Amino acid sequence: MSALSKSAAEGGISIPGPLSIAGMGWVTPLGSGIEEVWAHLLKGETAAATTISSPLGPSHAVFRVPPEATAQTAAHPRLRRSSAISRFAAVAGLEALTNANVRIDAETSKRIALIFAVSNGGVIYTKRFYHDIVESGAHAASPLLFPETVFNAPASHLAAILGITGTSYTLVGDGAVGVLALKMAEDLLRDDALDYCLVVGAEEADWLLCDAYRKWRLLRPAPPIEPFQEPPRGTIFSEGAGALLLSAERVASSCPVSIERISAGTNFAKRREAPAAVEKIFAELCDPIPGLICASANGTFIDAAERTAIEKHSPDAQVYSIKVALGESVGASSLWQTIVAAQALMKQNVPGKTKIDLVQIALISTCGLNQQVAGVLLRLNP
Amino acid sequence: MILALQEAMVQSEYFQPELTVMGTTSGGMTFGEAYYRGLQAKAGAPHAASLIANYTPQKPVMDAQEAFRITAPCQVIANACASGTNAIGHAFECVRSGRYQRVMAGGYDAISELVFVGFDSLQASTPELCRPFDSERTGMVLGEGAAVLFLENFDAAKARGAKILAEVIGYGISTDNYHLTQPNPSGSGARLAMEGALRSAGMEAAAIDYINAHGTATPFNDAAEGKAIAELFNGVPVSSTKGMMGHSLGAAGAIEAVISILTLRDQLLPPNINFRKPDGDLDLNIVANQVQTGQVRTVLSNSFGFGGTNACIILRSVTA
Repeated sequence: MSALSKSAAEGGISIPGPLSIAGMGWVTPLGSGIEEVWAHLLKGETAAATTISSPLGPSHAVFRVPPEATAQTAAHPRLRRSSAISRFAAVAGLEALTNANVRIDAETSKRIALIFAVSNGGVIYTKRFYHDIVESGAHAASPLLFPETVFNAPASHLAAILGITGTSYTLVGDGAVGVLALKMAEDLLRDDALDYCLVVGAEEADWLLCDAYRKWRLLRPAPPIEPFQEPPRGTIFSEGAGALLLSAERVASSCPVSIERISAGTNFAKRREAPAAVEKIFAELCDPIPGLICASANGTFIDAAERTAIEKHSPDAQVYSIKVALGESVGASSLWQTIVAAQALMKQNVPGKTKIDLVQIALISTCGLNQQVAGVLLRLNP
Repeated sequence: MILALQEAMVQSEYFQPELTVMGTTSGGMTFGEAYYRGLQAKAGAPHAASLIANYTPQKPVMDAQEAFRITAPCQVIANACASGTNAIGHAFECVRSGRYQRVMAGGYDAISELVFVGFDSLQASTPELCRPFDSERTGMVLGEGAAVLFLENFDAAKARGAKILAEVIGYGISTDNYHLTQPNPSGSGARLAMEGALRSAGMEAAAIDYINAHGTATPFNDAAEGKAIAELFNGVPVSSTKGMMGHSLGAAGAIEAVISILTLRDQLLPPNINFRKPDGDLDLNIVANQVQTGQVRTVLSNSFGFGGTNACIILRSVTA
């Protein structure tokens, strides 16, 4: 069945320039707040692993968000009983808006879109809800929990808190989903009816996810995460959120960092095909050649795929993986990478490096664990 | 998903999308359930790695694309029951903006125990017949399925001699911040989305010939949607096809877009079955129980979901 869409001038579509990053926010296992976490990263700190115990299997090491990082969200009625993932998203999203000095009122609420990126969703409540069914039968299922199991529950809470009444999308995918959300934002901001797009990616940790990723042979029993080591020894699951407030340059022209180009990516059917898929992204994005690559390497098969592409397309670039410090948070990861790249460009500093050459272009490479790859090129504005 | 894509490919075998936008609500939830039950039985689920891979919501799209050697990047929208219409609407905007020539869109969902029990726990589903807009409606009946649509720039499609089935001409989206699972009783969220679709299409409400309603047959949805339709449209024929097919959640909007295209093709309005007694609070022209003939050039298709997501598209027939 096919339906056709006429190419129409009607509808206020325009062709903007690059996208500006107007604001950023994050919640991580090293705390919340862009500058606070950045300072930790520059000191070379890594998150402290905690043990998450499973009633049905072995324990797992995870990087969790410290409770104080989201303490202020408890006051909001929509978040009182929400899952952790919604609280992470709210804190990161609000920080991005605050840092951009953007206040949402009745008028601006129609001119800002929300895109929420997630991989596993509200897994804690989903597991609880299903556990009750398995243990006690359908009559034990809680009508309070079920709504929080739906993938777009965090986006709904965030939209309600911010008062966004227009466009709101929840995108699902693997570790590349944050970049796919940035691409969607780029497409949305072609419309003059929108000034901003808030992109938020989040993930919450649970023993069930750890059990699954362990059986997938992706986890290691304890830190450190050692990217680009052979053989790969596995990653550590983590949680949190990242948020970027994007705007067309016609709205925010003085932002220090712009999104130069986004590759919406491609897919790979088998892990052995991942290197070719990542290489395709680098081929699309490595013009101009980036001075910094924020990789998604996390101690799994991803690393070899990225190494091949880096060696071919940008062998002299400095390479950094934030997953060493913050772990693999899947839905939040690629936005964390983007934030780190933007910070590195603005501060001319990269965690773990004593000195860097002047860098104006940074590439964010995201290879997910479940078949999706994508990438972003950032530019430091003069 | 694979079967739906296969049927679409038979009709347009050279269609190679630059982008795929699909909608789902629960993705591969049945695989997650099997995995958890295996753990609970302390025996471990057989083929655990496969269950995990298939649990991820985007996997059906990956599999379908792989089956037909499509490598386009995928955006999988999970806006609850509005997902399918959101996917088509966003795909439409991508093509209309000129950024893409060809986008594959649609929706998919399969019934799972968690979702079935979930709607039951909210008293949103009924053990009786699904009676959209009936005064004695008692809730929804779940369904499942998938639908795929190929959207292409009109001029490009015409130039290559493609058989054009219909045009997408408008899309509206709104977010209703009233409640996580209930629409604003005023119908304001639904109304905003319908008005947005009309604005996007550059047309007045009077130009709509038929409305394929979301019409889940829950007391809350039908009251809010019915109010919004009655306020905006003056006696336009309305039906919900969920009485016949159930509510397939993330697939519903895509399936109903296909129904809307068939309505345009055959000039037949699909019936709102199981309709016995009009709701006195709703001033609607329901296509009750029997298919009706009519001159249909434009169709509005509605989808609304948990989280306050509202999406509407407008389709138009293509005249020679």
